[in-house]
Amino acid sequence: MRRLFRSLQARYMLIILTALILMQVGYLVLSIAMSFGMDMEPAVSASDVEAEWHEAAGSLTEVSADAIRDLFARWKARFPEASMFWVDGDGVLREQTEGREGELPAIWTSVSTAQFIKSRYGGDPFTVIAFVGEGGRGGFVVIEIPRFVFDPPINQVYQQYGTWLAIGMIVLVVLFILISYLFFRRIRKRLMQLQEAMSIRDVDGLPVSIELSGKDEIGQLEQSFNDMVLELKESRSREQREEQLRRELIANLSHDLRTPLTKIRAQAYTIGKQEVSDEGRRAIEALERSVVNLDRLIDNLMSYTLLMAGRYKYDPQNTDIVRLVKEHLATWYPLFEQGGIEVDADLQPVAQGEWRIDPLWMGRVLDNLYQNVLRHARSGRYIQVATAATKQYDAIVVSDHGPGMRSGQSEEKGAGIGLSIVDRMLRGMELDWDIQSDEQGTTITIKRYRK
Amino acid sequence: MASILYIEDEREIGEWVTRDLTERGYQVTWLTSGEQAEQHARQADVAVLDVMLPGLDGFSVGKRLKREAPDLPILLLSARSAVEDKVEGLSFADDYLTKPFHPEELAARIEVLLRRTQKVEDVLTLRHLRIRPKSMQIIDTRTGEEIVLTGKQYHLFQYFLRHLNQILTKEQLYEAVWGEPYIEGDKTLMVHIRYLREKIEQDPADPQIIETIRGIGYRVRR
Repeated sequence: MRRLFRSLQARYMLIILTALILMQVGYLVLSIAMSFGMDMEPAVSASDVEAEWHEAAGSLTEVSADAIRDLFARWKARFPEASMFWVDGDGVLREQTEGREGELPAIWTSVSTAQFIKSRYGGDPFTVIAFVGEGGRGGFVVIEIPRFVFDPPINQVYQQYGTWLAIGMIVLVVLFILISYLFFRRIRKRLMQLQEAMSIRDVDGLPVSIELSGKDEIGQLEQSFNDMVLELKESRSREQREEQLRRELIANLSHDLRTPLTKIRAQAYTIGKQEVSDEGRRAIEALERSVVNLDRLIDNLMSYTLLMAGRYKYDPQNTDIVRLVKEHLATWYPLFEQGGIEVDADLQPVAQGEWRIDPLWMGRVLDNLYQNVLRHARSGRYIQVATAATKQYDAIVVSDHGPGMRSGQSEEKGAGIGLSIVDRMLRGMELDWDIQSDEQGTTITIKRYRK
Repeated sequence: MASILYIEDEREIGEWVTRDLTERGYQVTWLTSGEQAEQHARQADVAVLDVMLPGLDGFSVGKRLKREAPDLPILLLSARSAVEDKVEGLSFADDYLTKPFHPEELAARIEVLLRRTQKVEDVLTLRHLRIRPKSMQIIDTRTGEEIVLTGKQYHLFQYFLRHLNQILTKEQLYEAVWGEPYIEGDKTLMVHIRYLREKIEQDPADPQIIETIRGIGYRVRR
């Protein structure tokens, strides 16, 4: 039972039920009282009053003002709401109870009497005209009693307490609305607090657990939210563990592959320092180149694996592209210089020079492109890095005078994986690119369509 | 003679590097694990550390060495080429070189580290100039006279000397010397470089010390 009343729904149902019961019970009591009261006889009936008034007037032995006043006083005591007057045998208005002065004619003729009788017949107040004394010698006395006096008692209660009853009903309805309002206001307040607490983020970017505010539905919601936060945290830590494992695996692989490469290089270097034939020297140089290429390949393979798995860290920033390309080219310049390659840098400001990209990714893309020029297009002895623009896009253009990609004359294959990385990364940064290659050289255009 | 503390578990690589560096005139102390590294930290001028060591890994050894001798420059030698690894390594180390490295490059980087900590001779010769970078004294060896630079010329030249052999873009130079963002088309830097060349170059029309790298920037080469 206690558990049932923890529920907000049950509590609200209880409020509604109480209100309904209160109203229904009130209505029921009223109905019973009314039906009971309707059945009850009034304290006095009109016919009795009529008979008694006739008898009282008729039985007056002495017709005097005093006797009449005495009669009026007795009836007034019995019916405080009643008013009475006396017209004597000459048609003169002689006595009347207080409060009706000036309303009644002073002299009563047969016409005025008939008019009076006509106006009062069957109306309210209930009027009885009785002759005074035997044979009506003393004129007549009239009593007027408001009809409600003859109503059942319940009607009288209604008339007296009806307003209070209505006020009571209104108070009941207002009370119900007020309790409902308070009930919902409290729920709303808790929901707002919950919403606020849900939007707080921890240092790791995940929501923080919240304190339970009860055991009702909102409390259950808070509990579910906390469970969800916990699951999120577990999932995040699982992800981090996997990430760590992956990094270790890559690191170990890298170590296992590169250590022998270092050794090969060490041996080649040691041999190279001794007296060797020209053929021997050429073999050592080829060995050196293979080591460098293999190293590059390992690096590309690992990067490609990470990229394909969506595990390559991507951190986009608003970047001044011309500046980035220029500074990057500055680091490559000595290598081109060493390789006897002329560098033609034509980097002009572009219309929308701020690109939302990851500078490290863009650096990697350019590394791969420059690497390809160094390895495959060295014979052209030329590289141009330029900006270009059309109405639709701004672009970075890298071109060389090498033998082209499909010529099959490049010293080794392997540009493929490097370009796959370029493709993946550029797409990842929402950039477009194309490649044109013939025996005159290769041109790669990295485009960013204007927004 | 500069002393190098070298920690490498691979015997073949260790022998090779030790031999090569010794031939280049360094005194090399080679350890195969990081356990005793701290004892040698104070005697060394530079430390070269392999990251994948048995027992304590290179990162931990490096951090310990830095605690023991905060001024000791550390070069990490690693087969790990991921950016995260480099970033983690460079959080305490001064340089990071990936395997398979060329001995020339290793030696050049060691030289840079030694120069940075002023363990090598404090005089730099550029063409006809003899420069003491610390006091920024520039002597024209043809006349034996000292060349005096103004404030901005001095800062500019010093920035070049700190980044010898590197190509510096106009943006990098301007922001380093003036401390404000470079605005495209601003001629201030070019004017200052012209004045600087008039003072230090033999023939300012054909500069040999401050090279112009067309489309990119400038370079001072040793």
